[in-house]
Amino acid sequence: MQEFFQKRPIWSGIIILVLAVFIWLVLAPWSPEMEAVLGRKRVFLNAVFGGVTLGALYFLVAAGFTLIFGLMRNVNLAHGSLYLLGGYLGFEVSERTGSWLLAFPVVFVLVGLVGIVLQNQVFRRMEGEELRQTMVTIGISVVLADLMLWSWGGQSYTIMTPDWLSGPAELPIVAGTNRDGDTVYLRYPAVRIAILIAAIVIGVLMWLILNKSRLGMLIRAGVDDRDMLAASGIRIQWVFLAVFAFGAGLAGIAGIVGGTFQSLSPGEDTRFLLASLVVVIVGGMGSIPGAAIGAVLIGLSEQLGLVYAPTYSVVVTFLIMVAVLAFRPQGLLGRTR
Amino acid sequence: MSASDPLSQIFQSSARRAAPEPTWVERIPLAVWIVGFVLLIMPLIANNFWLFQVFGWTFILGMIALSLMFLAGYGGMVSLIQMSVAGMAGYAVAILGTSGMSDLSLGWPWWLHIPVAIIIAAIFGTIVGALAVRTEGIYTIMITLAIASAFFYFTRQNYEIFNGYSGFNLVVPPRLFGVDWRQPVPFYYLTLACAVLSYLAVIYVSRSPFGLALQGVRDGPRRMAALGYNVTAHRIAAYTFASVIAAVGGILLVWQNSQISPGTVGIPAVIDILVIAVVGGLRRPIGPFVGALIYVLLRTFSPDLLTGFGLSGERFKTLIGMGFLLIVFFSPDGVLGLWDRWRARQQRKRDPLRDRSTR
Amino acid sequence: MTDVASLNSVASGNALELRGVTKMFGALAAISDVTFSVRPGERRAVLGSNGAGKTTLFNCITGDFFATAGSIRLFGEDVTTFPAHERIRRGLRRTYQISLLFGGLTVADNVYIACRGVSRGRFSLLRPRRSDPLLARVGELIEAVNLTEWRNTLVSELSYGQQRQLEIALALAGAPRFILFDEPAAGLSPTERRELIEILNGLPSHIGYIIIEHDMDVALRVSESVTMMHNGRVFKEGTPTEIENDPEVQELYLGDGSHSHG
Repeated sequence: MQEFFQKRPIWSGIIILVLAVFIWLVLAPWSPEMEAVLGRKRVFLNAVFGGVTLGALYFLVAAGFTLIFGLMRNVNLAHGSLYLLGGYLGFEVSERTGSWLLAFPVVFVLVGLVGIVLQNQVFRRMEGEELRQTMVTIGISVVLADLMLWSWGGQSYTIMTPDWLSGPAELPIVAGTNRDGDTVYLRYPAVRIAILIAAIVIGVLMWLILNKSRLGMLIRAGVDDRDMLAASGIRIQWVFLAVFAFGAGLAGIAGIVGGTFQSLSPGEDTRFLLASLVVVIVGGMGSIPGAAIGAVLIGLSEQLGLVYAPTYSVVVTFLIMVAVLAFRPQGLLGRTR
Repeated sequence: MSASDPLSQIFQSSARRAAPEPTWVERIPLAVWIVGFVLLIMPLIANNFWLFQVFGWTFILGMIALSLMFLAGYGGMVSLIQMSVAGMAGYAVAILGTSGMSDLSLGWPWWLHIPVAIIIAAIFGTIVGALAVRTEGIYTIMITLAIASAFFYFTRQNYEIFNGYSGFNLVVPPRLFGVDWRQPVPFYYLTLACAVLSYLAVIYVSRSPFGLALQGVRDGPRRMAALGYNVTAHRIAAYTFASVIAAVGGILLVWQNSQISPGTVGIPAVIDILVIAVVGGLRRPIGPFVGALIYVLLRTFSPDLLTGFGLSGERFKTLIGMGFLLIVFFSPDGVLGLWDRWRARQQRKRDPLRDRSTR
Repeated sequence: MTDVASLNSVASGNALELRGVTKMFGALAAISDVTFSVRPGERRAVLGSNGAGKTTLFNCITGDFFATAGSIRLFGEDVTTFPAHERIRRGLRRTYQISLLFGGLTVADNVYIACRGVSRGRFSLLRPRRSDPLLARVGELIEAVNLTEWRNTLVSELSYGQQRQLEIALALAGAPRFILFDEPAAGLSPTERRELIEILNGLPSHIGYIIIEHDMDVALRVSESVTMMHNGRVFKEGTPTEIENDPEVQELYLGDGSHSHG
């Protein structure tokens, strides 16, 4: 961090300035002139919060993808299928048991098991052959997509929000003033706030485990130097299996989250695979903080784009990716290879 | 290039010797004569459904997959943008020429809108290539996939140019020489001619300075730079060349369907092109056409096949996906690789003294 | 006119001029503050134990990767920020220690690619005609390294020694003015070494080169000046005799009797 500030004073200045303006826009009450130019503040805030929540969801999906790639160089293009599968399974569990919370551990374990099978039966057989891995996982995702279409059909599902999370919560952020001149605070669906908090907790936990624990040291050592890890007598395959299961389980959980605040239908698998791809391309392959930054950037740009330039929201996302590729091909926080 | 490199393992170019050369007619093997003859007289054998739907579609998909084979086989770059480039050409023909959407289509004459469409698609492919070559190997796949999907979503959202969800209908080939080129027999010969021309072009270019240098870039980019080649420029130029082939395929595809919509350039279509090229084999230019034929036959007849086994005819995707998985698992160089190995084994059986009969 | 001052000036007549060239890998300096210059036509050996930074130095000169600090001038032109192919087009060539040939192509194809790389028509989509003067040049180069018999053989089927010879042919393609040879004699038989020395000594006198060589016999017979490197720095410079008789060098490099290792 400090190194970055010292090396790139201009860039850090620009980044800090942009962040400051952004935070000011969110916190300060908007004057009528500003509302005339930028539209209602409530709309802006909703887009921002929608973007951050969407970013949280993207992060949950992409974190597993980037972790798996970072450690094992395994390119799992069936990651989106794991997301959708998790969503459908979560729907079934919460429908049958009536418990939304129960769906999380069940789906985590089930999709984690699928991940273990993938790692053990597919990736281990073609270690280092990135291209074959890509093609095999593409094939798997085609088959999985069709099988899921078979069992769950083409309609879209939404997982019911539990009562204690439904309804809005009031945030201490000024949305505007009402006719009486009272300050109105932003109201936002509680479930989304829960998702956001959960994503932050998971992200911080992942970061802590990776950076502060022995297991994390092993994993990071593996990312830097696989031969070293293999030579140190650690059963590297067990570490691989564990990481793959965790990444897959995370994608499955993300499926429940996505199914709760959006919906599940065929095609969502590719959508989230692509979202993860863009997120990790922007953030940098194999970097968890990179995935977080990339996810929030993409989520924000998608939602703000939808509000302010509806036909071109995809283009905004795309332009971010192009800009990153043009100036920093390894991604914002990626390391040069 | 080191033997552990996955790309070079898969794409090791087939052994080739510049033997003392007989005339070019003599060098064409008998099998090619037979296949060529059968293809020429096909309209006498096959009915219209086969000509238009099976063969026409095979040639078109084969051309688009051929452009991927050129990039992957000779350049070592697996690009998933080829279907989008083809789609861009198709859209350009619909927009610049005539279509059912007379408000949006400009109605330019055929001699103008067809070349311009190809140029637009080539520029599009070149720009994507310029972005994709900044990274290598697996990243190329991811980036081209991401751009392809961005293109798909863009065509679906944009109504001013691409007419959003519905796209363009009634896009038909121009009536040239008094022939309706959408009739099965003329369309068959049109697609056959385009496919053969692009096939020959790829073969010819593979031995031109550009093609040789591209293969050099694939096997040893560092070495090529040390020989004075601008590696990046060569890779980008390969995208341009491949885009032209894909663009021709894309235009034919629009004419065949007489319509184009975002679904034409959707992710499943993008993946299909990869499946076709890989199943056929990425080493030789004939591979994509073999793959396309297999794909089209499966696509056309698997519903009947599946219902025959008491399954729902809609499960053809599972069938195709499974087939693809089997091929990738057991023969990374596709059906052609299987064929080569089978032939090698046959020859070894016949001649016990030869142990390496592939050469 | 050829006084010492003008030789050392910016636009000096030097073929290659290195000033303070440093290459860091992370916190590790592979080479640091390397400064020396080579006159046109001069033949110099770079000696040093493994890890002394010789190949890294070559990689910096050719632009395989960029120097972290310092400047590199080629025939008076500052090429420090030039990509590799731009330096090659200015008459620089190199060979590689590990074979980086195109195994799937024939000997003739390899040499043809090399010749094409420094001529026009790199992007030509047309196959060369039989009368193409480049093809004649390809034949000459193959002849020069005694590979005519193997002209149409796949490179992956050549012997190791033949591949090393082909490396040299590739470096001679076009109109080289300065060549970097990276251990061309490594792994060669005594006969092949003699052939190599003949090829090197038979090069036109305007072509200068730097040769990295562990074999002192070869190194001293094909060079007129020597730069010793140690731990990424220039340690000594001088004529072959001076270096051979330098006590420090003997202690460091020759004295342990390891001078014949490959």
